[in-house]
Order: sequence, then C-alpha cells, then structure tokens
Amino acid sequence: MHPGRQLAVLGGIFVVLYLLVFFAGGASGSFTDRLHPKLGLDLVGGTQATYIASVQGGQVPSKESMEQARNIIENRVNALGVSEAEVVVQGDRNIVVSLAGKADDQLKDLSQAAQMRFRLLIGTTGDVSATALNPPSAAPSGSAAPSAGASAPAPTGSAPAVNATPSAGGQGGGEVMKAPTPTPTPTPSASAEAPASAAELATREEVQKKVGAAQWAAAEKLTAPVDLTSNPEAGKQFANFAKLSGTEVAALTAQMQFNVPTISCKQLDDRPNGAIDDVNTDAAVCYQSAKVLLDKAKVVGDDISKASPQLDQQTGQWVVSLDFTGAGSTKWAALTRQAFEATSSDPCYVAAQSLYGSVEHCAVAVVLDKSVISAPQIQGVLTGTSQITGQFNATSAKQLADQLNFGAIPVTFNSGPAQTVSATLGIQQLQAGLLAAAIGMGLVAIYAFFYYRLLGSVIFMSLILSGLLTFGALVFLGRTMGFTLTLAGIAGFIVSLGVAADSFVIYFERLKDEIHEGRSPRSAVPRAWARARRTIISANAITILAAVVLYIVSVGAVQGFAFALGLSTVLDLLVVFLFRHPIMTMFASTKAFLSPRVSGLGRVLRRAQTDPKEA
Amino acid sequence: MAREGLASRLYAGEANVNVIGKRKIWFIVAAALVLLSVGSFAINQFHLGIEFAGGTSFSVPAKTTDGRTLTQAEASDAVERAIQSVDPNAEVGAAQEVSGIGGNGGSFTVRASAMTAQQAEAAKTALVEDLKVPSEAVSDDQVSAAWGGQVTRQALLGLVIFLVLVMVYLVVRFEWRMAVAAISSLLLDLIVTAGIYSLVGFEVTPSTVIGFLTILGYSLYDVVVVFDKVQENTRGITAGSTRTYSEAANLAVNQTLMRSINTGLVALLPVGGLLFIGAGLLGAGTLKDLGLVLFVGMGLGVLFSIMFAAPVLTALKDREPRIKAHTARVLARRAAIRSGDVAPRAERSGRNANVTESDEAPALASAAPRPGSRPTAKRNTNRSGRPGGAGNRPSGGNKRR
Repeated sequence: MHPGRQLAVLGGIFVVLYLLVFFAGGASGSFTDRLHPKLGLDLVGGTQATYIASVQGGQVPSKESMEQARNIIENRVNALGVSEAEVVVQGDRNIVVSLAGKADDQLKDLSQAAQMRFRLLIGTTGDVSATALNPPSAAPSGSAAPSAGASAPAPTGSAPAVNATPSAGGQGGGEVMKAPTPTPTPTPSASAEAPASAAELATREEVQKKVGAAQWAAAEKLTAPVDLTSNPEAGKQFANFAKLSGTEVAALTAQMQFNVPTISCKQLDDRPNGAIDDVNTDAAVCYQSAKVLLDKAKVVGDDISKASPQLDQQTGQWVVSLDFTGAGSTKWAALTRQAFEATSSDPCYVAAQSLYGSVEHCAVAVVLDKSVISAPQIQGVLTGTSQITGQFNATSAKQLADQLNFGAIPVTFNSGPAQTVSATLGIQQLQAGLLAAAIGMGLVAIYAFFYYRLLGSVIFMSLILSGLLTFGALVFLGRTMGFTLTLAGIAGFIVSLGVAADSFVIYFERLKDEIHEGRSPRSAVPRAWARARRTIISANAITILAAVVLYIVSVGAVQGFAFALGLSTVLDLLVVFLFRHPIMTMFASTKAFLSPRVSGLGRVLRRAQTDPKEA
Repeated sequence: MAREGLASRLYAGEANVNVIGKRKIWFIVAAALVLLSVGSFAINQFHLGIEFAGGTSFSVPAKTTDGRTLTQAEASDAVERAIQSVDPNAEVGAAQEVSGIGGNGGSFTVRASAMTAQQAEAAKTALVEDLKVPSEAVSDDQVSAAWGGQVTRQALLGLVIFLVLVMVYLVVRFEWRMAVAAISSLLLDLIVTAGIYSLVGFEVTPSTVIGFLTILGYSLYDVVVVFDKVQENTRGITAGSTRTYSEAANLAVNQTLMRSINTGLVALLPVGGLLFIGAGLLGAGTLKDLGLVLFVGMGLGVLFSIMFAAPVLTALKDREPRIKAHTARVLARRAAIRSGDVAPRAERSGRNANVTESDEAPALASAAPRPGSRPTAKRNTNRSGRPGGAGNRPSGGNKRR
C-alpha cells in the first residue's frame, strides 16, 4: 500500500475515534467534560453500600456462607461492566461494596438473595384490607361469626382485573399420565406447617399478645379467606392485624397471612427479605394486587443449570430461558404435570380461575425472593428448556439471568444506606503517576534521540500518537462499557507505551542489519520491514493471546488488566503498521536519511563502506 | 575489529560473546535460582497485603471533641502512629473518607493488617488520646480479603490455559524445541521473580499480581525476537558443513544482543520512572508495587531470553539426530582442514566475501564464526559460490556508489 494511503487510514481512525469521544455513547457536558476517562475508586472515590445479613433465629451467618455471598455479589458487580469494584466482608455480618463514581442505582439490587422458587398457585383472594376495616355499612357489628364454610374465594370488587393469561413457553407435551391426586389444599392448620424456629415462635407469641387472644383465636380458626360479600362486617374482628409490622406479619403462618382479611398487600410486601424462602411451607404473597396463597416450593433456583435472557421472536418480549439440571428437570416435570392435569375441582384450578377468569390448567408462580415474577398457566408437562415471562426489558432479563446463574446468596441481606467514599490515593498519586509517565517517556525519547538521532523523532511521534489513541479509547470505553481506570491501570498503560517502543527497536535494528549488508537505505527499508513485521506480529500475537485468555477466564481486577493489555497491544500494532512503516518509507527516500549525523545510521553506513577495503 | 570497543561491536551486533558454549554454567545458575526460589516459597512464603489476607478496619469520626474537623491525611497518619505503637510491623493503608449521601458528619476508615482484639483495643485507646475524638465513635472491625480466592484461582487457570495455547502457537510458528525452550525460560522468569519477592519479603498486593501477569507477554516477546533470528540463521544449516547449530545459534544471540539490550532498556526506562516516582517520592503504594515487579521481571526476562532460552534450545537441538550428525560432520571437516586434507573453499574470498557457498549454508572462511561474522543465510544470494557476488544482491565490491 502507498505510504500516504496508510497514513490516511490512520488519520481516519483517529478522526472517527475522537468523533466518538465527543459525540457518541452518551457524551454530555462541556468540551472538557467529554474528555474525562472514568477514573477508578482509588483515584476519585465512589459510592459504598453496606449490606447487613439478617440474623435468622439469633444465629449469625457462618463465615463460609458470608464468603460465598461475597463472591456472588462480586460476580454480580462485575457483570455490570469492566469496573473495578471492591467487595469485602466486614465484621461477621456486613458486606461492603464500593464502586467508582456515583453508582447508587447499580448498588441497589446487588444484595438480592435471588432465591428462586416455583410454587403452585393454590388460593387467591383480593386485598380487601381497606373494606374489611371500614365496611360500607356504617353499623358496627360485634359478633359476626367467621364464615368458615366459605367455598372458593370469590374475587371481590378490589380484585385485579383479569389480564390476558400468561403462558409458560417451552416444549410442552409428553405422555399424559394418570394425574396424581394433588396434595395441596387450602386447609390451613398450624400443625401442617414445618416446625417454626424458636425465634419465629417467640415473635409469634408477641404478635399473639399484640392482637389479643380473641382475635388470634378467630384468625387461627379460619380455613379460608373471610368472605366479606356475605358479611361486610366480618373483617372488623381482625382489626388489630392491620397494625402489625412486616416482620410481625412474617411470623404468622402463611394461611393466617392469607386468610385474615385485614392484612394488606403492603404489609406482606414489608416482610423482611427471605420471609418466604422456606421451601417446606406454603407462602402468602401479593400478585397483581391480589393476595395469593402458594404451595410448598417443589422446584428451586438450584435446580436451574443455566439461565439466559432471550428476546421472544413472536411476542417481541424479553424472557428468561431456563435449563434445568438432571434432578431439576424431573422435579420440574412433576410440578408442571400436577398443574397441567389438575381437574376443575382442584384448589389450584379454582385459584387460577379466580385470578385469570377462564382457565384450563393450574398456574405455577415463579417467585424471586419476596415477589412473584409471573404466574403462568401451565400448558403442558414441561421437561426441557422453559421460559419465564414477565415484565422484562433487556436489562432486567439479563439481570435475572445473571442472578440465577451466579446462584442464590445463602444469606439474606438488608441494605444499609449508600454512602460516598473518598479516594484512597487521591489526586497527588494520580499526578505522581502522570509525572512518572512523563519521566519515563522523556527517558525513552532521550535514549531514542541519542541512539537513533533524527529517527528518534519517529519513535517520539509514534509514542505521542499511541498515547492519544489510548486516551481516546479510554474515554469512550469508560463511558460505554464502564471501563474504569485505576492507578494500576495508568501504570500499565505507561509500561505498554514502553513496550510499544520496542517494536520500533526491532524494526530499526533490522534496518541496520540490512544496511550493514550493503543495501541502500531505500531498498533496505522494505526488506527490513518485511522481516521485522514477522517478528513484531509473532511477539504481539502472544501478548494478545495472553490478554484474551485472561479476559475470558479471570474475574475482577485481573479481567480489567487483561482488557487494558489487549487494548494497548492492538493500538500498538495499529501505530506500527499505519504510522511507523509509512513514515519510514517516506523517510528513506530523502537525502537526510543517508547523512550519518541525521539518521543514526551513519556508523553502519560508514562501516559498510569501509569493509571492502579490509578485504 | 579488535581495535573497536565493546560498545561499538555491540552496536554492530558483533559482540561475539560465547553464550551457548557456556551453557552448562547457565543451567547450573538457573537450577540454583529455582532451588533457592522454591526453597524460599516453602520457608519464607509470601508477605501478603491486606487485600489478600484481610485485616482490621478502623473507623474514626471526622469531628474531634473540641470541634475540629480532621483531614484525610491527619486521620491516616494518626491511625498509622497508633497502630505502629502497638505492632511495629503492621501494614497500614490509606484513609478513606466515608460520608452519607446527605453529607452529614463523615468518618474515616483505615485498613490495617490483621491484629488481635487486644492489639486493636490498644490501638483504639492510643487513637482516642492522639486525636481527641470521642472514644465511642472509634470502632474496629475485621475485614475480609477484597481479592477473593476465586480471583486467584481464575487467574491461575487463565495462566495455565495461556501456557498451553502459547505452546501450541510456538510449535506451529517455530518448532517444539523452541516452544519448550521459550516456555521454560518464561517459567524460570516467573519463578525467580516470585522467588525474589519471597526472599526479600516485598509485600504482595493486587498491583504486584497484575504486574506479574504483564511479565508473561513481555518475557516471551524477548524470546521470540531471539528465536526468530536463530531460526533465520539456522535455516537449512545441515546443507552446509561449516558451522554447527550451536555456533549459528550463538551468532544469532550475538546479533540480537544489541536489540535485546535496546528493547530491554526502552521498556525498562518507563518502568524505572514508575519505580523512581513510586518508591522515591511517594514511599509506597500502587506505583511502587507495580514498578518493582515489572522492573525485576522484565530485567530477568531480557537476561533469560539470552542466557537461558537459547542455551536450552541448543541443548535440545543437539539431541536431534539430524543436528547431531551434522555437528559431527562439521567437526570432522574442521579437523580435516586443520590437518590440511581439504582446502577450505571460501578461504580466499576473505572477510568481505559475504557470500554463501550454496543457497543456504554460510560460507565463512574460518572454521568457526569469527568475531564480526554477519548473518549469511540469505535466500536470494548468488547460487554459484563465486566470490565477488555476481548475484542479484549488492555485495561488498560494488557497495560504494
């Protein structure tokens, strides 16, 4: 290629890069604002969030589970982009996450336990807490008996409008077997529950005192949600339950939470994280502003082998696709069979019908931590890949998939307030780093000028060019990929500039060889280039290989380093091919090149000329 | 030639240092270094930083009892004084200011190496006295490693995968013997660098580990440069009988010596700048950690690419039957020349006859390469073997124009 054309390509790359820096990827602010790379936690400080593990049953989580939680949170932070976050366990129950810059939003969902549960929907009732407390008829009634015999919970006025039935995708089908009799019934009885922990029982006793013995007894007797349509005053006798906090509500059995009409959706939502994680108990939860009762969890997040976000081609909606483990898919098939083959008298059928209107099969709720993501009607016995639908966008679908892939955090956390933290190193260190860069570059330049004379200026110019390209790439990638530049990163780039100068030395020493062998500078340049190119490509290929492998395999700071290494090597190759070589070609055709004083080739030239006399 | 100094000969790539011939010495030195390093791993182990080992975190309020607001530097210094009064060997990190998003009443946290509860208590007491801060507002906490075991595991896995892939690449690009020599030189570099860290007791921080990984690419870079030249010089060497493989390799090493020194210097200058600023002006921290490990590793990389990689290569090559036979033939021929049986063909052409006697084999007159011998295996040289060079390449005679 003509040297001029190569330089033009380089110029094009340069212009495009800086156009991107100034106008693309969410560039905003003044001219200088757009030129700021994203600096790391150590240089500019950032945001810090503390997650406090909830103590369950008076027990502090074990060291191992805290370390496991730390790893999962770290993976989640790193999945946000190439940022160098710091995640440490502090004391015995805190996890502190620090991120560079202002990052409150990103820190919000990190500690979500991501306990996924698949539970059969077995009961539904409206959130009637308001009407239960203030019945439309003003006359108070003190002695309404609980309507124990109420049949199916009828959707009341405040029940959700029935939406289009969501469906579970995936390969349905499979042979139809005799439906096993569905076990779950909405019959509440405290003894059917898994034994509650001592701490839970203690809270339950306190709650019992708070609501009063009479109300407690009445609530315990309920076997189905109170039917307020037949007796609008029936809610009154549970008035005290409306005053309970989320934690106190959580201490009640799922049946009580579900049946007592005065317990509102808000109270259920206020329950602490992890309140309905127990796989062996039923769970009451709010879905589409109705209260629903869910069966024991038959399938859990650990049964999922791989989750990935997908865009459903037909509906244009984001879904999360799930693959189950061997054991998981057996359990999943059993659960979906139970839902699919339920008859119209099954409680789950009744519940699904009251939630969705007309249904043919039962629904399985996909529960993540405290909330139901979706509760699709099961259209077949699902054995393989299945999809979760819900109100996902690209980000939330990826987030859920990441959370499922990295596993559930074994500890439940409550997040403390986000705080700002200052830089540990600060501006002096940054300045010192830049000073070191200047000194290093200065030394290289002096050495190059001393050794290669005017050709040193080619090294010097290409160093400046590498620097500018690297800087532009850093600014742009910082904005679009969250690539964060720490002090170590800056030092890495300084070093890489030195290594980049190496490739020039290889080229130039080759050139000396060629001239020494008696070639004219003009013919020596292309020959030296052809040979040096081979060496330079081999050597850089190894570095790029190192960068790619480390980037794919490693995590955290090492990954950030690998990215920087790869970036600087690619830029080095760019400068070598599109700048040094064409410049040298052009240089070789000038007279100055031959002058010993100018090119630094003088001694070699002289030697090449004197050699024959020796012979 | 002899009248010129070493620098000048280096410049021209004619230092003629006998590196390969002394390979036994280098192997012994390398073995000793590896033994020393491994021994040190076992006995001294590594001095791990807080990021790896975890430690104690102190929290100090920004407001003192007499209403003053502390600066970050004050807090940092005071904690360091307090901790070192308790445990002189403790490492103390820099202070970090923590404040609510609202911005009311911040505090400083400082991380230090792990200490016992009593030590932490003593340090807290000293701190309260020193800074005059309310004692109940000063707290200490154990902190875990920020650099989890997972990061190290994955980095090591990456290292292993890289070594396998680069081995494959080198086998394809060169040959398996060169690949083995290059990888063993890299491993030697890594082991000895780690050994120096262990032996001297430099602190290992995440920056150190990252610097360590940088050596990976750099060390191989040097070896590739040397081997590229060796490969060029020895292409088709068995066709001729003037020079053994080892001699050709030694020549390549000499020819690349200046290049190695140059590339080494050019790469080490910025690292030296980092080290100078990091250690000299700032005392400690990221810049020093990174500068130090790179300086040691890159320096050794340059050295080993010459002193170890090439000798290992020749040692392996000398075992190859083809090369072995060729070496024997060259030596036999040399003995014959000495006894006058065979007239050395190219003798009369003298030093300037930079000409090959065949396409590939070097035709240097003397039995062994002399100081100042140039690479001669040129592909498009004249095929006749006639001195004077009527080939398609400018030769000594018609160089001047």
